[in-house]
Amino acid sequence: MEQRLANTWRMTNNEKKFIESVLASDLRVDGRRPFDYRDLTIKFGREQGLSEVQLGQTRVMSYVTSQLVQPYRDRPNEGTLSIFTEFSPMADPSFEAGRPGEFAVELGRVIDRGLRESSAMDMESLCVVVGKSVWSIRVDLHIVDNGGNLIDAANIAALVALLTFRRPDCTLGGDDGQELIMHDAEVREPLPLIIHHLPIAVTFAVFGEGNIMVIDPTHKEEMVMGGKMTFTMNSNGDICAVQKAGGVGVMSSIIMQCLQIASAKAADITSKIKHAVEIYNTERASQKANHYLLEVANQVSLSDVIMKEKQVENLIEHLAYMPLDELENSNQGDALAVDTRTKHESISQGRYTRAFVRGPANWDPYSRGISSRLATSFPTLPGFWCVLLGPKTFLLETEETTLLHAENSLG
Amino acid sequence: MNAETSDAPPTSLVDRTVVPGDTVLDLTAMANQTIKLGAGLRQDCDTISVMKAGKLRLSKPNKYWVESSHKRYAPCVEDTVLGIVVDCKPDNFLVDIKAPTLAFLPVLAFEGGTRRNIPKFEIGTLLYVRVVKANNSMNPELSCVDETGKASEFGQLKDGYMFETSTGLSRMLLSSPTCPVLEALGKTLSYEIAVGLNGRVWVNASSPSTVILVSNAIMNSESLSGVQQKIMVEKLMQRLQ
Repeated sequence: MEQRLANTWRMTNNEKKFIESVLASDLRVDGRRPFDYRDLTIKFGREQGLSEVQLGQTRVMSYVTSQLVQPYRDRPNEGTLSIFTEFSPMADPSFEAGRPGEFAVELGRVIDRGLRESSAMDMESLCVVVGKSVWSIRVDLHIVDNGGNLIDAANIAALVALLTFRRPDCTLGGDDGQELIMHDAEVREPLPLIIHHLPIAVTFAVFGEGNIMVIDPTHKEEMVMGGKMTFTMNSNGDICAVQKAGGVGVMSSIIMQCLQIASAKAADITSKIKHAVEIYNTERASQKANHYLLEVANQVSLSDVIMKEKQVENLIEHLAYMPLDELENSNQGDALAVDTRTKHESISQGRYTRAFVRGPANWDPYSRGISSRLATSFPTLPGFWCVLLGPKTFLLETEETTLLHAENSLG
Repeated sequence: MNAETSDAPPTSLVDRTVVPGDTVLDLTAMANQTIKLGAGLRQDCDTISVMKAGKLRLSKPNKYWVESSHKRYAPCVEDTVLGIVVDCKPDNFLVDIKAPTLAFLPVLAFEGGTRRNIPKFEIGTLLYVRVVKANNSMNPELSCVDETGKASEFGQLKDGYMFETSTGLSRMLLSSPTCPVLEALGKTLSYEIAVGLNGRVWVNASSPSTVILVSNAIMNSESLSGVQQKIMVEKLMQRLQ
């Protein structure tokens, strides 16, 4: 108990008084004006459907996964969407590990409502076989750091993750035409979710007698505020959901004013999200193109590998050197930093190294097929060759440099 | 640990980043073996090794310690800290100083404190206090008087604004000569500041906008060098005018 008492974050009366008194003169403790949003940063993960959103100090991570399930009986042709929240005590000591707290439930519900009630997602396109199997989309929201206004940050994170998520394509086939075939990502392009519009949550904190409203409250402001209101709107200005928490009453005229601000902010955030997702998608597409070409090249060259006598000889010669090669590999990390030892070794292998220093050598039966095709088609891709030729070529190149060092120092 | 560290002369690591396991000093190689060890260092037979990551500091002639930046505070005797009153008990105030456990502030540890004039603090009061006892497995003990029994600067801090930073930043603010950011701010603005070694900073000024400006300037200076801090403050001042 005492341990918990010591770990909870608390606020002094000085701060509370200061925040309230300063708000009366339209100032905020972090230097913003009442209707300024904090900086928004959107990051993506290696996998699709993973996003991390940073809103000032607040950080939320979102991960989307899918699964084939049986649909609900009353909606046999619709997929399902479920949102799970994870409030780690690392984000804020006041969060308890284990059972989701009151706020965790509220957060999940607000985001769920925004997406569901506005039918932002096309659920019918998630149906595979009516009444038998539909896609169930699961959104996991992890609060990484609580700097206030978790709802907005989590909502953006969920949207970004849903926008970048791709589910595998599946069709019916087999002998009786009833068998479900899942297509591998390589065979058929995975499909994006159909999202009609982006419901953006914009939160206002209410202070005083309900006459002072502030957008995007920080952690400290949330401790002082009398209540808060979340408007979920899209860029067209449609209201998708409204949530009001806390006891303070708010006048209707103030709500109308907030709605106008919220719709402007929603449009602004929508464009930010779309921009970020677009950049991510083009990057991903170009990566994929590289990968695909590499694959094709591999397949092409595989067909014409014919071991000629000379090549076999080369291969044997190469294998004879393998142990040395691996030995070199093991101290590759400090090859350039620690000179003395490597110098010695590379001189002793001088003959061997010299034979291999120039590009894709004759011992590699695969690279021959690739090099001529791709060297011409990818003149502008830096770092492409290292992917293509693997670490071995790099190893030889660094060896060459150390060898040069050695020769210089000897000469 | 690479070969370079252990062969190096003992003082070469001073003011550089060290990590747990680094050997800082070899006592056998030293003529005068009297040294004083501070936080983050440990003696293993004839060597002094590092226990936490941070920068190694040396106070001439022989005091060594490792300095690092945390968001939590490990109490240390004679540190001045900012605490928040959590509870009032008949004998002690329970004070939160960002330590693993709450600290005790005896009700008599005030200037001229007797049973008759026990101060009244409501919960959430901000205090500037001194750590007098810091032992393992015991709650730290605080005091609102200095060694001579005078209140000096200790006691309740009224009004103003308190914010939390890291222990590294608060140490930087307290260092002498005066920290560049405070000096640069002080040229044009007048403000009052109290820095606790537990990473809490309290700022007060006549106008609230000054308080906001000073506190944000301090929070932004966490990772800036002295020159960068001055440039940042100058830019802030230009924007203000």
